[in-house]
Amino acid sequence: MMKIPYFPGCAMKTTARNCEISGTLVASRLGIEMVELPRWNCCGVFPSLANDDLMRHVAPIRNLIRVQEMNENGTVKDENRLVTFCSMCYHTLKEANLFVKDGEKLTKINTFMDREKEYRGGVRVLSFLQLLKEVGYEKISEEVKKPLRGLKVAPYYGCLLLRPREIAVDDPENPTILEELLETLGADVVDNPCKVQCCGSYHTVDRKSLVAKLTYDNLTYIIRNGAEAVATCCPLCTFNLDSRQKEAKALYRDLREIPIVYYTQLMAIAFGLEEKFYGLDLDLHYIDPKPLLEAKNLC
Amino acid sequence: MSKSGEAERKVRVYIMGQECEVPFGLTIMKAMEYAGYKLIRGAGCRGGFCGACATVYRMEGDYKLRVALACQKIVEDGMYLTQIPFTPANKPAYDVEKLAPSVNVFLEYYPEIAKCVSCNTCTKACPQDLEVMDYIQAALRGDFEEVAQLSFDCITCGLCAMRCPTEIVPYNVALLARRLYGKYVMPRAKHVDERIKEIEEGKFDEETKNLMDASLDVLKELYTKREIEK
Amino acid sequence: MSRIKLIRGYPEGMRESIELVEKTREERLKHPYKETFDFLTLEEREEVLQNHHPDYKREMKRALKIGPNKGDLVPHEVADILEAHSPVNPKDIDLTDIDYESDILIIGSGGAGLAAALWANYSGTKAEDILIVTKLRFGDSNSKMSQAGIQAADRRQDSPMLHYLDIMGAGHFVNDPELVKTFVMEAPFIIRWHEELGVMYDKEPDGTMVEDLIGGLSRLRVHCCRDYTGLEIMRNVIDEVQNLDISVLEFSPAIELITDEHGQAAGAILWNMETEEYYIARAKSTILTTGGFGRLHIQKFPTTNHYGSTGDGLILAYRAGAKLRDMDSVQYHPTGAAYPEAIVGLLCTAKLRGRGAQPVNRFGQVFVNPFEPRDVESAVFIEECYGKSKGVETSTGMRGVWLDTPMIDILNGEGTTEKAFPAMLRQFNRQGVDMRKDPILVFPTLHFQNGGVVINVMAETTVPGLFAAGEVTGGLHGKNRLVGNSWMELQVFGRRAGIYAAERAKEAKLGKLTLNHLVKYEEMLKEAGMETERKSPVLLPEYRGERAISHALDIF
Repeated sequence: MMKIPYFPGCAMKTTARNCEISGTLVASRLGIEMVELPRWNCCGVFPSLANDDLMRHVAPIRNLIRVQEMNENGTVKDENRLVTFCSMCYHTLKEANLFVKDGEKLTKINTFMDREKEYRGGVRVLSFLQLLKEVGYEKISEEVKKPLRGLKVAPYYGCLLLRPREIAVDDPENPTILEELLETLGADVVDNPCKVQCCGSYHTVDRKSLVAKLTYDNLTYIIRNGAEAVATCCPLCTFNLDSRQKEAKALYRDLREIPIVYYTQLMAIAFGLEEKFYGLDLDLHYIDPKPLLEAKNLC
Repeated sequence: MSKSGEAERKVRVYIMGQECEVPFGLTIMKAMEYAGYKLIRGAGCRGGFCGACATVYRMEGDYKLRVALACQKIVEDGMYLTQIPFTPANKPAYDVEKLAPSVNVFLEYYPEIAKCVSCNTCTKACPQDLEVMDYIQAALRGDFEEVAQLSFDCITCGLCAMRCPTEIVPYNVALLARRLYGKYVMPRAKHVDERIKEIEEGKFDEETKNLMDASLDVLKELYTKREIEK
Repeated sequence: MSRIKLIRGYPEGMRESIELVEKTREERLKHPYKETFDFLTLEEREEVLQNHHPDYKREMKRALKIGPNKGDLVPHEVADILEAHSPVNPKDIDLTDIDYESDILIIGSGGAGLAAALWANYSGTKAEDILIVTKLRFGDSNSKMSQAGIQAADRRQDSPMLHYLDIMGAGHFVNDPELVKTFVMEAPFIIRWHEELGVMYDKEPDGTMVEDLIGGLSRLRVHCCRDYTGLEIMRNVIDEVQNLDISVLEFSPAIELITDEHGQAAGAILWNMETEEYYIARAKSTILTTGGFGRLHIQKFPTTNHYGSTGDGLILAYRAGAKLRDMDSVQYHPTGAAYPEAIVGLLCTAKLRGRGAQPVNRFGQVFVNPFEPRDVESAVFIEECYGKSKGVETSTGMRGVWLDTPMIDILNGEGTTEKAFPAMLRQFNRQGVDMRKDPILVFPTLHFQNGGVVINVMAETTVPGLFAAGEVTGGLHGKNRLVGNSWMELQVFGRRAGIYAAERAKEAKLGKLTLNHLVKYEEMLKEAGMETERKSPVLLPEYRGERAISHALDIF
């Protein structure tokens, strides 16, 4: 069993528990033990909205120090990497890592943190999608016991995995890493011209109508192209595309509802895991995916 | 009482800037009283439980800000100290009967915790050495048990709230977490309910009356003969 | 000037004794807890108390010359405050200018006062009609410092009758049976109320309360929240009072009660410690919950009590004509810290013995059963140190016996001390002593006021309109209190005080306010030929340095 430090982030423990519960078991089937960081703190994505450049990097850097500690105390062996499901966490952690490639900035942050351990640099931040690619699609297909035949899925990346260019997991204009995975799972992958379109992100708090419009636009194209479900990577995208269908429908009557699921949940289904690990019974989906999946004999 | 040569040693401290020489071995609190201060604020239980005497100080020549409880910390040469007489803190009113233990509770009553930048200043300001930042982070993800365990020894001295750059009052957040944890998450003691029912039904009334009416000798005998549980 | 070398917190002389303690430990571990030593018989108890307990030194007491308890023997320090002038000259007080009008005035914000406030509110008195006044910070009290726990007979193997017996026996059988009966029957209900509030009692995974056996008890009955029990309960109760928006006035102690022309209690004169002005607080019911008297330092003992514990309530009630009882009985807690000097007198919870720590003398020998009731245990410690000179003497002349705390982890598993005694561990770590590796030095310390203002089961004193609850009252514990009963006393009678004060407030009619009781009191002093400059209540103990006192100038 390969052991790799795992950073959950706040959403994975609350509104995106369905992603964590499916993703961690899928990982273990592939021979990866996701070892949760001890004493992790929020990746700092909210404060990253602040203009104060120094303070906003303390939170993510501290999590990278935890990875160092896990290697030092033997919790993991020679594994100076961190993996995360959440796109926002991935983005924030990776950006912070790049920020401190500048030695002067690294020194400043270490000095600010004072009596805490120092970050030496060198920890690599991975999205779970990247880790899966590393495992290899051949190995993944070996675990597929229930191919998602007949399920027309549109991939949706959102922004934070792909922008800016320096941290992108794939080609920012036309990524394919998610499609490759979905194909390996046996699904009918539907082309999605909106796959890297922004979901509206934080405006879900202060400009709901903007997010409703984006949701309407994104989903309308997706449905027009024949998709029956959308596979997402990020908890915020998922919230906007799923829960905000309510506001979108109120503004745009012709929006047809479509279930939104994390790609990890689709993996759990395709791997034939126990149903409780699909994350469908945690009351976290606005549009219930079960009717669709039952119709396809997938659950 | 005989004292060793040790007692003749003097220590130089600065109380709110004023230099004072006090005998070796005194706590900050006793040193202030020795210097003539009759404490009204800044003294409470004198035993480390109430947080009234939270003290902030620097050592001569050193920029680091340190914290201690005046009733427990022994004075050191060059200590430059002050106390915070009062912490203004927001404490909203809530009814625990009407709340449920979910992360939304924190964000509703203390939305400012989302501003936490994980700078760890609160942890460094805690005279009880609690992991304050860690419990605020646990609150952010709704982990009530973690908040309760990490914050249990909090004496509400207020220093964390005074130092937090994003103006969170950690100890109030922790208090809400502990109450909800104790009330909703911890399992109930069924035997207590059973016993209350028995008492209300009068199960013990007669025996207790007998005890109350018993003569002194009978009482003494019953007492001496009672079996002590292992 | 040589510096004394400390080895892990202790000087060489004490280290030698510790080595002896370590040598005898293996043998002693074979007979831990109750098997340490034989229990004393009732006669043997009486003997050691007579010979060594501070309460039995006749010359340390005198008979009161005035007031409702004239002729009763009380310690000099208590007599000093009961036979003293009022700080108030009635001519200086304008009783017509009412600053605070309330249904219920609660003097003191410890466990009893807060329970009274909450239950008065639950009984129907509106929050804005309740006023809590405190001398220091809101919530500052002995209640907060309590460590070991709170008793209630709620386990199958236990019963209220056994609780009753334990209390009577410890109290030398002079306790008020009505108070004791009410107490043991209502205790389990209080525990449930605490659960409803959210108090984090130590529990097993299935919810069963973790309860300890400590000195004087026949059953495991002491519920705890690690060793921060008082603090944990107080945090909850304080929060509730704040949530209900009950008014609190801080740093404004009551310096005299006010009566009316019919002799009823009608409120109090408050004094702002910071602005030095007085306020008139009129109330239909007054509840006295002022706590204990540790800071009077009876017989010059150090104390476990908080800063404001100066017995104010006693003199306030006495001047208004309330009867007291059992004031000749002072409780000394056997295990107050005795080293280092900075923490002398501070409480080292009885639960330490409950979890296996044995008291041993300088030579590492056991000499007493760790589970004797407090007064007996204290007397035996004093006998060992002064009667038999087998105690340890520190460089300041303080004597004590060892409490072998490393036994706790050995008997219960590594990590027990950390989990069960975070407060104690912290207290000693701060002084450089690790109580898991080394024993701690202890000696009796002034702890609790066993007696106090007489109350009935409705918490009424002998003065109409004046209620009292908590440490300031007497009768429940007789001549000696059991561990864990003081917190329950605060809750059971604090609650009753609140309920009955609320009930009374609905009907009560106050007459013209007067301070005649003070005038009468002054006359009593004169008649008895008392020539003194003393004033009481004392409010705060005098700890200022000599230089400051001798050069004080009152010029404002």
